[in-house]
Amino acid sequence: MTQLRIAGLEKRFGEVAAVRGVDLEVAEGELVSLLGPSGCGKTTTLRCVAGFEQPSGGRIAFDGTDVVPLPPEKRDIGMVFQNYALFPHMTVRENLGFGPEMRGIGAAARAKKVADVLAMVQLVGYEERYPRQLSGGQQQRVALARALVIEPKLLLLDEPLANLDAKLRDEMRFFIRSLQRRVGITTLYVTHDQAEAMVMSDRIVVMFEGRIHQIGSAEDVYDRPATRAVSNFIGQSNLLDGRVAGGGNGRWRIDTAMGPVSCGSGFAPAVGDRASAMIRPEAIELHANKTDAGCFPGRIESRYFLGNLAEFRVRMSDGSLLIVQQPAHAAHAVGAEIGVRLPAERAWLVREDVA
Amino acid sequence: MKLWRGLFGGLIGAVYVFLMLPIAIVVMASFNSTRALRFPPEGFSLRWYVAFFESEPFMESFRLSLVLGVAATVASVLIGTPAALYYVRFAGRWREAFRLYVLAPLLLPEILTAIALLFFYYQIGIGTKSVAGLFIGHVVVCIPFVFLQVTASLYNLSPSLEEAARSLGASPWMTFLRITLPLIKPGVINGALFAFIISFDNVSISLLLKGIGSTPLPMQLFDYLRWGFDPTTAAASVVSILMTLGAVVLVDRLVGLRAMRF
Amino acid sequence: MSGIARAKWLLAAPVGAMVFGFFMVPYLNIVVMSLRQPSTTQAYGPGFTTDNFVKAATDPLYVVTLLDTLRLAAMITLITLALAYPVAFHLARTESRWRGVLYGLVLSPLLVGVVIRTFGWIILLANNGLINQAMRQLDLPRLQLMYNEFGVVLALVHIFLPFMVLPLMGAIQGIDPRLEEAARSLGADKRRVFLRVLLPLSMPGIQSGCILVFVLACGAYVTPLLLGAGRVHTTTTVVVHQLELFLWPFGAALALVLSLVGLMVVWLYARLSGRVLRGQS
Repeated sequence: MTQLRIAGLEKRFGEVAAVRGVDLEVAEGELVSLLGPSGCGKTTTLRCVAGFEQPSGGRIAFDGTDVVPLPPEKRDIGMVFQNYALFPHMTVRENLGFGPEMRGIGAAARAKKVADVLAMVQLVGYEERYPRQLSGGQQQRVALARALVIEPKLLLLDEPLANLDAKLRDEMRFFIRSLQRRVGITTLYVTHDQAEAMVMSDRIVVMFEGRIHQIGSAEDVYDRPATRAVSNFIGQSNLLDGRVAGGGNGRWRIDTAMGPVSCGSGFAPAVGDRASAMIRPEAIELHANKTDAGCFPGRIESRYFLGNLAEFRVRMSDGSLLIVQQPAHAAHAVGAEIGVRLPAERAWLVREDVA
Repeated sequence: MKLWRGLFGGLIGAVYVFLMLPIAIVVMASFNSTRALRFPPEGFSLRWYVAFFESEPFMESFRLSLVLGVAATVASVLIGTPAALYYVRFAGRWREAFRLYVLAPLLLPEILTAIALLFFYYQIGIGTKSVAGLFIGHVVVCIPFVFLQVTASLYNLSPSLEEAARSLGASPWMTFLRITLPLIKPGVINGALFAFIISFDNVSISLLLKGIGSTPLPMQLFDYLRWGFDPTTAAASVVSILMTLGAVVLVDRLVGLRAMRF
Repeated sequence: MSGIARAKWLLAAPVGAMVFGFFMVPYLNIVVMSLRQPSTTQAYGPGFTTDNFVKAATDPLYVVTLLDTLRLAAMITLITLALAYPVAFHLARTESRWRGVLYGLVLSPLLVGVVIRTFGWIILLANNGLINQAMRQLDLPRLQLMYNEFGVVLALVHIFLPFMVLPLMGAIQGIDPRLEEAARSLGADKRRVFLRVLLPLSMPGIQSGCILVFVLACGAYVTPLLLGAGRVHTTTTVVVHQLELFLWPFGAALALVLSLVGLMVVWLYARLSGRVLRGQS
């Protein structure tokens, strides 16, 4: 198994810098997702690792060996493309046999490999079909099998589920994840879907504008986002802007327009700095009595029933609007004057941008 | 409302009739038993076809046109296909200039190209002595059609297919042979079809560049029509139409026809 | 990397050499030829002159021919547009199962050589052709349908019709049918939907179709020669006639003047219609 190391990766297309200094290590057998909006550089990073783009700077190493000078076919990678890129003029068997054939594996050994991998993706019996005769989910599994049959050092997936409908996408997440665990292959996974990244990854790399904003577990990026951009991109968030009033030991007080708010932090800000406290809609407590201890006064402006949740828009005394989610049948009427509590252990200090 | 729709439909119908009329007339003339076509036709006869196949000048022209058409097709496919690959996959800053350069023979009147080539051949001393000059002229006007067709099919070919092959261990050359070429084959064959038809029906280039004793079929027809009327030309026309129609049907069966986009 | 870079150039090399050697150089050679002294004994005489251009641009005989050629080309373009638009519109919008057949019908003339199509018109239009036979049987006077502009225009419209239908169809197909529905929902009747929505949006197709047909019509040679039979002169027939008289330098100058004037008309038209297009957006 292989360890992947990316150091100081840069990629410019003419004037445009698509990747601006990416550092990342992926351990053996680990599945790491590159998550971010379109144009954030995640796909370019993946394509540099695959060898389809020549980096403008930086190093990419598999097990300590620099692969930058190698063409894609010499890198020993398996790649799954967004549109699957199954060869339309070849049957499933021929598609799967192509990689082993290029590696000079004899017909008998090749047939064995193809049969094994077909069993692995549960497509035995589809050998003679052409890609257009398969459903989206089946094509997806063939693409996965074709990448795995060559037993590559590294598995690269570029938005592999983007073209599937929602229900199938959910199934495939678990299918790919369990297959990856079983094979134990080091995997780099590109997606713009946060739920997908959270379900599938050991670690998530959140990227914006060619730079990494945060590397961490699903809990890390959701509960303790490093930057404003991360908190906005992953889930819904309320951001309260203000200045650092004081604190220490990972617990800080921010003076906001609404009043002082306590929050946790992963770094030590200077007192007086501009800063924002982030709190998730479901972390906010609503009290029927607006004078309850630690509560800010607010008024329910609207209420939406979301099935498993009820979502409220709460107008605060300084004019700002908070999004609050409560259990579905929380009984707060529109127009009610209420108390809003922001639990300090669920509020988090976020930076404007990467340090 | 109904009246307008009727007029609109009538106009469209009239245009279709107009489009088919001269071709239908030639076909009728070729099967007519008398020298002058009358309406209604006076009798059915294959005598003009017999005359065509027994006419030494016509048969010679027919053979020359076939050989020239096939040779020009092969050459323009061999030149136009790599050019399309270069344009779609590799051409950088000079992309549009390159496209214009390759399509130039299509954009300027063929008769002017013929004049230019005629002067040029005389000045480098080959004149119209060699069929090679005629052949080159045909290749020059055929290349743009191959280029357009192959370019279109390359655009429809997702680059990720080639990348997938590379990721599976195929070299660039292997990728071209096993992935790119099989997938652009319909475009190449359609391009070849257009090239053949353009060469087989060409008059302007052949008019000025044909040598003594080497007259392609359309030129032979041209000469006959210029100096009189002979129903043998109608038979020759129909045979020529059938040749191109045969090529079209063959290509349609092989890979499916594709429209030419200019 | 350098290996791949070299291979890239190899792809472009054959076409580069072919078009350069047998297209660019011959065309440049025309320019040189047009500046040569005429000669009666060889292709051209010693020394250079601009007399050929002066003659081509001032001699009334050639100027009139040039203007006639442009006028004919413009006329052919307009008639072709008028006939092609309904057909293109119908083809682009119809859901009839005959659509494929009709499309094939529009394109099929392209598969039949120009000489053969011209031949068909000769059989129909000649002084003792099918139409005049019918006229005679009905005791009507003979119509002069050939050896004049009518015949030439008719046959050229026929030949260029597919070249107009194709770009028009492309443009009309590109118009979202929901735009028509939107205009109808806003109270526009069919006529105004056409004038205010469809026609403006199909302008790019009209523009490219007109340029294509105009350029082709300026360069037409075979049809004017056969159907005009020496009575309709276009610049192309006059140029080739100069070659037959071995007046090569003058023929070259005349050909260049035709190309330049044709290009200028196209440029002017593109500018004007471009302004119309911009004015709408």
